[in-house]
Amino acid sequence: MTTLEEHIAAAHPGADLGQTKDGTVFWRVSAGMIGDAVTLLQRAGVDRFLDLTAVDDPTRDDRFELNYLFYTSTGKRWFRLKARTNGDAPSITAQFAGADFYEREVFDLFGVRFVGHPNLTRLLLPDDWQGHPLRRDEPLGGEPVDFTVTRDVYGT
Amino acid sequence: MTTLDAKVPDAAPRQTLRINMGPQHPSTHGVLRLELELDGETVVECRPVIGYLHTGIEKSMESRNYMHAVAMTDRMDYLNPLGNNLAYALALEKLFGCPIPERATVGRVLLAELTRINSHLVWLGTAALDLGAMSTFLYAFREREELLDLFEELTGQRMMTSFIRPGGLADDMPEEWLQKTRKFNDALPRRIDEYEDLLTHNSIFKERTQGVGKLAVADAYALGVTGPLLRASGIAHDLRRAHPYCGYETYEFAVPTRTEGDCYARYLVRLLEMRESIKIVRQALDRMPGGEVRTSDRKVMPPPRRELQHSMEALIHHFKLYTEGLRPPPGEAYVGVESPRGELGFFVVSDGSGRPVRIHERAPSFANLQAIPVMAKGGLIADLVAVIASVDPIMGEVDR
Repeated sequence: MTTLEEHIAAAHPGADLGQTKDGTVFWRVSAGMIGDAVTLLQRAGVDRFLDLTAVDDPTRDDRFELNYLFYTSTGKRWFRLKARTNGDAPSITAQFAGADFYEREVFDLFGVRFVGHPNLTRLLLPDDWQGHPLRRDEPLGGEPVDFTVTRDVYGT
Repeated sequence: MTTLDAKVPDAAPRQTLRINMGPQHPSTHGVLRLELELDGETVVECRPVIGYLHTGIEKSMESRNYMHAVAMTDRMDYLNPLGNNLAYALALEKLFGCPIPERATVGRVLLAELTRINSHLVWLGTAALDLGAMSTFLYAFREREELLDLFEELTGQRMMTSFIRPGGLADDMPEEWLQKTRKFNDALPRRIDEYEDLLTHNSIFKERTQGVGKLAVADAYALGVTGPLLRASGIAHDLRRAHPYCGYETYEFAVPTRTEGDCYARYLVRLLEMRESIKIVRQALDRMPGGEVRTSDRKVMPPPRRELQHSMEALIHHFKLYTEGLRPPPGEAYVGVESPRGELGFFVVSDGSGRPVRIHERAPSFANLQAIPVMAKGGLIADLVAVIASVDPIMGEVDR
């Protein structure tokens, strides 16, 4: 049986593979390649989409690192796909219907736009919310408490 | 002669009706809102709308230290607090690579399984109540109350326990408590027989659940469904078996599956899971070794009080840990555990400082919720209540 790594190496020699601390293998691709990479993984036996989240690093131009987590039932292992983007990424809802909520969540909380998503609207926050709270440069915020002093300082 | 039918203009267009079910509907188990399109009583389309319980936990975690995050994991899936603590602790321990004493590991299995029983009891009670079986609800909550008393005695809290911490357990389990747990555990199989008497062969319950809310394996895979939902559709996937953690490979237990994929199958799978959990609890109690429940790695857990009296190094470790908090080495780790609802995973990213860069929870209910439209489509609105109940969504972890 060929492993996922062999499938990837055959199609993309010199693919950027690595391992997280828990031993899950990840493959780093460019944002434009996400769709092709997922198709390749599907052909290699990846049959379940488990998770998608982003990690923000505002000091970089391509600040969002998308982290996809897949599972293969035949190989009995997790597999991670990583891609960096500055705000746009292709949607994988056509390949895995379960990515629907996850992409909406990342759009909602990070502001990454998934091109090709059938209904890319806010998921957790109200539709008229301003900003994307999970960005690192978004302040934690909070509602000013109505004390006399806050009234003077913040004009509430 | 004119018939009654003739009075109805036959050109009347057939209209569908759009209504909201929830967020305050009692059978939506929290604040789930479903936008329904109905044709008569048939569900044409169902769209879950979530976010009513969004509390920004993942954002709050980034502004606090790693130890504070433990308390917040409790509040995600509030029926499985110890399971959430466990998943988070395991992810952090992957970063630290610290050894966990045997007593703590067995204690974690014991607590995780008790929590699974607790969660399934609440599910059983509320799911049966949704279908009109009031007495099951009372019986299930009677047992749950005993279980919460046990949790309270051990951890000081009934629900938000924060007892499983990175590096081991918060405190030792007293012998007395272990005996009480054994007594409760030994009494439980008979209680489950009682629930079965009430429901398993109850024709009303069977009619409400059999053949209702079918989920095919292909759909389940595509939607990322895990846990009892997947096992009721015929896939024997359980992380305790497939990727054992905490030494689950050394325990004897079965992974119950059904092939029907309907609400009744999910009910049976969960009941059988409770019976398997009872077995695991018994094995954990039988093999409970002595010794410490906290890791010897002083970068993760503070030294015991007795060392502080005469060891300068212990005092320094204690001081550093309480002023700076945990500082895991840079890197990222994901650990998935089998929660009562499916694959629960924590993805932790550390840059080596005392504050997490990112903590993300892979919540099983979040993915399972996406299966509701598939299961509800074409069914009756009354069946939708059974479907939601059989999914067992916990909005606390869906919205986070």
